[in-house]
Amino acid sequence: MEKQDNESLISVRELKKYFNDGEIKALDGITVDINKGDVMVVIGPSGGGKSTFLRSLNLLEVPTSGQIIFEGVDITKKKSDDGKKLDLPLHRRKIGMVFQHFNLFPHKTILQNMTLAPMKTKGLSQAEAEEKALALLERVGLKDRADAYPSQLSGGQKQRVAIVRALAMEPDVMLFDEPTSALDPEMVGEVLAVMKELAKSGMTMVVVTHEMGFAKEVGNRILFISEGKIVEEGTPDQIFNDPQSPRLQDFLSKVLI
Amino acid sequence: MNFQVIGRNIIQIAVKYWDKFLIDGLSYTFALSAITVAFGAIFGAVLALQKMSKIAPLRWLSVAYVEIIRGTPMLLQLYMFYFALPMLIPALNKQKFACIAIALVCNSAAYVSEVIRSGIQAVDYGQTEAALSLGLTKTQNFFSVVLPQAVKNILPALGNEFIMIIKDTSLASTFFIGDLMTQYVLIKGTTYLPIEPLVIVGVIYFTVTFILSKVFGFFERRMRHGEAR
Repeated sequence: MEKQDNESLISVRELKKYFNDGEIKALDGITVDINKGDVMVVIGPSGGGKSTFLRSLNLLEVPTSGQIIFEGVDITKKKSDDGKKLDLPLHRRKIGMVFQHFNLFPHKTILQNMTLAPMKTKGLSQAEAEEKALALLERVGLKDRADAYPSQLSGGQKQRVAIVRALAMEPDVMLFDEPTSALDPEMVGEVLAVMKELAKSGMTMVVVTHEMGFAKEVGNRILFISEGKIVEEGTPDQIFNDPQSPRLQDFLSKVLI
Repeated sequence: MNFQVIGRNIIQIAVKYWDKFLIDGLSYTFALSAITVAFGAIFGAVLALQKMSKIAPLRWLSVAYVEIIRGTPMLLQLYMFYFALPMLIPALNKQKFACIAIALVCNSAAYVSEVIRSGIQAVDYGQTEAALSLGLTKTQNFFSVVLPQAVKNILPALGNEFIMIIKDTSLASTFFIGDLMTQYVLIKGTTYLPIEPLVIVGVIYFTVTFILSKVFGFFERRMRHGEAR
């Protein structure tokens, strides 16, 4: 029992997010454990709550009720029971996030995009931060673009930079919010390849995506969220080859052509 | 109307009154505009931050101020400050330049605050989300990510505001501040010619604002290149 608690990196308990005084239930009681090394792929219909769920994990979306226990700390509580104030930025540093629209800083070069947070929050010197950033850029084949501005990169390149910008903070978990949805089709592959490599290296990942191929191949757990609830959860094999609920069967029949 | 005579008069008056009146007026106009822009921007920034504050009464105060300034004529505001300020602050007694300058600053700040607020709010919220997700604090996000991008939205509009102010300072001539328009009234009084000095002063205003708008346009274009370079 205790061992299980140690392995669980993020424990989500009865997470609810209501809009308009409960008229819209974006999340309606989500409970799930994300363990170290998990590659959890979240699938489901649009507007079903999967992005809201993901964005709640680093509190970009503040839940209405429920708990998110990250590395033993309930980050939904502004004050812990012993009266200590929550240092949210400190926890966010360990939770990397990649957005649908990249959200690179347009006024900074690629290198500056990557060194800003490590220098500001971890007290790294510019030389240290740049050395680390360049090593990461090399890993995704973009070292020669270090001095370019985001507007000079293609969508696929921007997203690869966004991934390594998050990695520069050395997070314990990476969240991906539809990372390939804003890309031209021919650029989807290069971004998925980076994510696949990241998964192989043992990074804990939570990925919201419509790329069912990626979910099958790379994910070890699939979460099907619809109408703010986890309708079904299982291994890729269970979810794709033996779906139980009619809702999931219907969804799969529409996305797997 | 004899255009030949008018033309000759214009040249004669321009030459005769240039260093006596017009240069003087221009320097007053510039001084008043510069003071208004500089302090108006600072005061305007404070108002803008107030308006985006989490504390509701601060927000209301800022909103009410901006609405009152925008909803009343500038000339009325000038009269109000001109008469009321010395009563409130005895040190400003007979300091009409200071009173008018303060009035212009208070007026400009209301408009500038809107420019600054909309410039800050025009920065995509995804930028803030990215910064927060990287673990930056709200303050670090504001100064390192949001503000540098907002400045690019704000500066061009601030240039326009400067040009507007140069023209608006002419209202200060109502109180004989010594600006360009005041000099017009003086020259008109000495020469008994209403049209000719008006043309001269008009040409000066136009030249100044035209040059300034070209200069601002130049910097604006350079700033835009800077991003893509």
